[in-house]
Amino acid sequence: MRFSFVFSEMGIAIKRNLSMIISVILVTFISLTFVGTAGLMQQQIGSMKTYWYDKAQVAVYLCTKTSPKDICPQGEASKDVQKTVKLRLKSNTLEPYIDKYYFENHAKAYKTFQKEFKDNAVAKYVTPAQLNETFWINLKDPNKAPIIIESFSGLSGIEEVKDQRSYLDQIFSMLNIASLAAISIAGLMLFSAVLLISTTIRLSAVMRRREIGIMRLVGASNFYIQLPFILEGVVAGVIGSLLAGGAIFALVQFFVQGFLAQQLPFTSFVGIPDALALLPGLVLVGAGLAAIAAASSIRRYLRV
Amino acid sequence: MISISQVTKAYRGAPRSALDDVSLEIDKGEFVFLVGASGSGKSSLMRMILREDLPTAGSIHVLGENLVGIPNRRVPHFRRKLGVVFQDFRLLPNKTAAQNVAFSLEVIGKSAGFISEAVPDVLRLVGLEDKANSLPSELSGGEQQRIALARAIVNKPAILLADEPTGNLDPATSEGIMALLERINLTGTTIVMATHDRGIVDRGRKRVIELSLGKVIRDERGSGYGLER
Repeated sequence: MRFSFVFSEMGIAIKRNLSMIISVILVTFISLTFVGTAGLMQQQIGSMKTYWYDKAQVAVYLCTKTSPKDICPQGEASKDVQKTVKLRLKSNTLEPYIDKYYFENHAKAYKTFQKEFKDNAVAKYVTPAQLNETFWINLKDPNKAPIIIESFSGLSGIEEVKDQRSYLDQIFSMLNIASLAAISIAGLMLFSAVLLISTTIRLSAVMRRREIGIMRLVGASNFYIQLPFILEGVVAGVIGSLLAGGAIFALVQFFVQGFLAQQLPFTSFVGIPDALALLPGLVLVGAGLAAIAAASSIRRYLRV
Repeated sequence: MISISQVTKAYRGAPRSALDDVSLEIDKGEFVFLVGASGSGKSSLMRMILREDLPTAGSIHVLGENLVGIPNRRVPHFRRKLGVVFQDFRLLPNKTAAQNVAFSLEVIGKSAGFISEAVPDVLRLVGLEDKANSLPSELSGGEQQRIALARAIVNKPAILLADEPTGNLDPATSEGIMALLERINLTGTTIVMATHDRGIVDRGRKRVIELSLGKVIRDERGSGYGLER
């Protein structure tokens, strides 16, 4: 095996076929950028889920004077309602599921509201009495929220029992749809990359059919004949995937860390280490797909 | 060395078989002319010996290999023991004479050291050591065929197949090529040469196998192109 010969043959092939090779590089680059972005997005969703689900609580809102009359016909919830809720939370049936809970009265709710809506005009018009007194419950397992909801819904004096995760789920499902869309586009583009590589390699083989004919006559092994073509595809695939890696690094560095992380300082975002972990996979996919596409198309073209 | 037994080759859609129950033996060191009109089956026979094609029926043994049973992956190694030249030379236009010869050694993985010795040697043998750096376009037809011959024999094949090697050359140049083939034959290489060149066959007085409509109609030693023609 003479590698210098194989590589010089590959170099000649790439030079002759340059425009096609560039198009393969570009398609691989763009499709793998989508793949990488979708991968990072999934990681982001995953880490946000664990972070926020952990913080998500079940809220038991008690009736206020201003609650809708059909739900709270008796108006403001009495102290008895508070006692009943407390008793149930401490009961043998519910206690095993509860990590901790606390009660927020009108005054505390007002304080929190004023803090969260400091710059909002609505803060001026809200009175403490309008804000629900609330039992905030942290569960040992957030998935068990329906048990709490079940046991408090319909209890008189309670306006609503809400699992905060239901808000989060909407956001996550939207993010999931976006990353699925990215993956679908990536899949389509990878498919076209594979077709383009096959066509390119076959074109390259047609351009070099004299050489191939002579190689077969003098007894060059199939592997030796095919190798320069496969390497031609692999080189294009690797360059494309490295470019995709570069684009993802830039995205993480300048958009996620440089912009998003500044805007939302209390959220953990994917960083360069995550992008770095993704890179070998991208190169592997780029090189692997190119090798398989090139090998299968050249094999069909070259029979003994 | 070459043993062909009851070989029939039928191409799909063709009205008659290209080869029809052909049997012949060629021994080591022989020089054989294969003659016959176009379509008589000469080229089909050459393709079978080179294992570029398989017979529909019959068996072919070349250099101890059963070409009907040989697995595909062993075909390249088998072909390294054969040399081939064609009417149209089949040189690579963008490589020099020396590079064309070297190419056939590079692709079978010979070392650079071996190539740097073997190529000048074989160019000297074909009388073109001073044209080593010329491109095929700078060479005459006869010179191009000599380069093609150099390429075919540089790996010291046991058998040289020549498919109308003088078909594109004038008589004087053809004689030169013929003399070269005889010299190669004298070193022990078996030569099978398909040709239409009456003069060359008549002067050669070698074994002549004549094919007609896919059948062997004459197989004589020390013969000419055709007695009655």
